[in-house]
Amino acid sequence: MIRRVLIANRGEIARRVIRTCRAMHIATVAVYSEADANALHVREADAAELIGPAAATKSYLNIAAVIDAARRSGADAVHPGYGFLSENATFAEACEQAGLIFIGPPGSVIRHMGSKTGARAIVAAAGVPVVPGETPAAQDVASLAKAVTTIGLPVVLKAAAGGGGKGMRIVRDAESLEESISSARSEAERAFGNGTLYVERLIDRARHIEVQIIGDTHGHLVHLFERDCTLQRRHQKVIEEAPAPRLTPGVRARLTEAALAAGRAVGYINAGTVEFLLEGEGDDARFYFLEMNTRLQVEHPITEAITGLDLVRAQLLVASGEPLPFTQADVHATGHAVECRIYAEDSRRLLPQAGRLIHYVEPAGEGIRVDSGVTEGQTVTVHYDPLLAKLITYGPTRDDAFRRMTEALGAYEILGLDHNIAFLLRLLERPEVRETRAHTRFIEAEFATLAAPPDPDVLQAAAAIAAFVSSRDAEAVIADADEARPDPWDLIGPVAW
Amino acid sequence: MPKRLQLSTGAWDWVAEVSGARISLTPGDDDVTVSRSGAHVRVEGLAQPMTGTAMVSGDQVWVTVAGEVFLFSVTHGTPRAKATRDQDAFTPPMPATVVRILVKPGDAVNEGDVLIALEAMKMELPIRAPRKGVVRAVHCRESELVQPGHVLLEME
Repeated sequence: MIRRVLIANRGEIARRVIRTCRAMHIATVAVYSEADANALHVREADAAELIGPAAATKSYLNIAAVIDAARRSGADAVHPGYGFLSENATFAEACEQAGLIFIGPPGSVIRHMGSKTGARAIVAAAGVPVVPGETPAAQDVASLAKAVTTIGLPVVLKAAAGGGGKGMRIVRDAESLEESISSARSEAERAFGNGTLYVERLIDRARHIEVQIIGDTHGHLVHLFERDCTLQRRHQKVIEEAPAPRLTPGVRARLTEAALAAGRAVGYINAGTVEFLLEGEGDDARFYFLEMNTRLQVEHPITEAITGLDLVRAQLLVASGEPLPFTQADVHATGHAVECRIYAEDSRRLLPQAGRLIHYVEPAGEGIRVDSGVTEGQTVTVHYDPLLAKLITYGPTRDDAFRRMTEALGAYEILGLDHNIAFLLRLLERPEVRETRAHTRFIEAEFATLAAPPDPDVLQAAAAIAAFVSSRDAEAVIADADEARPDPWDLIGPVAW
Repeated sequence: MPKRLQLSTGAWDWVAEVSGARISLTPGDDDVTVSRSGAHVRVEGLAQPMTGTAMVSGDQVWVTVAGEVFLFSVTHGTPRAKATRDQDAFTPPMPATVVRILVKPGDAVNEGDVLIALEAMKMELPIRAPRKGVVRAVHCRESELVQPGHVLLEME
């Protein structure tokens, strides 16, 4: 069994992995950049290793530095989390070569699935439906334009080496093709060091449904049902739920079987996600393989909520060479779970935000889970992903889970930077979302109304509060004068007046 | 004696008269009553009661109500001269890296053209031309880290 895990990540996912390791009596080693010296994951791990300066390329993406930290700290395994090096085959292989267990699939599987075109070919051969598309051998504008003509507009340009929406552009008219190619390519080059573009037919008004799978080294491969991640903006998921609503038992059975077929086709080991686009209704709904994520997914907590399983625990057991602690027959989905991603951002202008969290209180209560990477007093920097936390609610029915989510979002208190909670609340109120009529470009299509200015009464209430606390400020400062606060921020809290 | 305050979020401005827990706001002509419980401030007198959270930081106040976030600048007493926003001050909204410079001095550009592409927190932020014009000067280099206030480019 693994004894000491180095977590090659930061923020909420590093803390998430630490929690399960602690429960399993496995020691943890955090890594951190100079910008994260005081971060929560560093404080919570049993040991911590500095791996470089703030820039991710020099720290969290620096394979040599991470491997070196693992050796130095005596770790026998590495958990990559998601993002950063989690889907880097070279990193997985470097771990193996250094005698470290990589908690994920073998490097060869990551490499096969990391290439969109390679992955398509493999799963298509296993009988899994794929969206029509191609990667032109010549990558000049004329060759890409020819591929676009063959497939037919509208199309999606994708980074052949990529994921996470980077280097992705939708092209609806021939005029915008050239600009889309150039911006997709430069984004792909910067994100993945490879500007090769893949052209795919755009499946319009589709839902994004993905299946969680997990396999062990003893030949077992099971699915943990599906998640609906249709609500996305700029190809990044915003709200996810499990199980997928309005999915017939027949389609669910075909979908989970297709995911297992895709997993078997590559000899999948450890936790992974097979993503599909779903179009159509009822038993006639059709689905197409989109890609496979060879790592723990951001939204894994909603699967944990409905199955009652700890995915990180299963990952650690499988990586240790143990058989899966459950069979397919043991896995049941009960109730409904929703996850909202809380981002530091200006949702109206879609700009990430930085700042100091001068007040930060997470919601708590029955059916509420918060996986966060931040705490009050912490400064959110521009160096990394603007995800502050994941808020997960669970209930017996979808309505219960949604009601809890609305309440929990309302109870979340974050001051010191702009965030997307109002945007999430507005999204959750929409009948299209309530009735599962939204498609993957719903946010884009409805952006003008979703990003409308605040309700006039909300504005008036905010102005009244600002006026009230400002007029009281002088008195509050006098009342507090003896307290010698080291913190320059004056909390409008339990001051005696 | 009521206290008179000027409030601004940048997008919206108010004048507020505060008499203890009673506040009148212009525009809106709303008279509301405010009460506090811990970190929460409750406002009554609008269509329905609303509760928010607030924190003072210097002459600014962070407020959230219904998930919306506001940063108010507060001036006590009479209003000061309002700063005009210079449309041609091309400056990043946050610390960012210059990933591409698509124009050079002398280039003619149309409204909406992308002039400079910045990247912050893994997202690309285009700086676009606010109008048709000619680029006078570029004050940044590719891969340079730039801060808010740094004028990246000038237009004629």
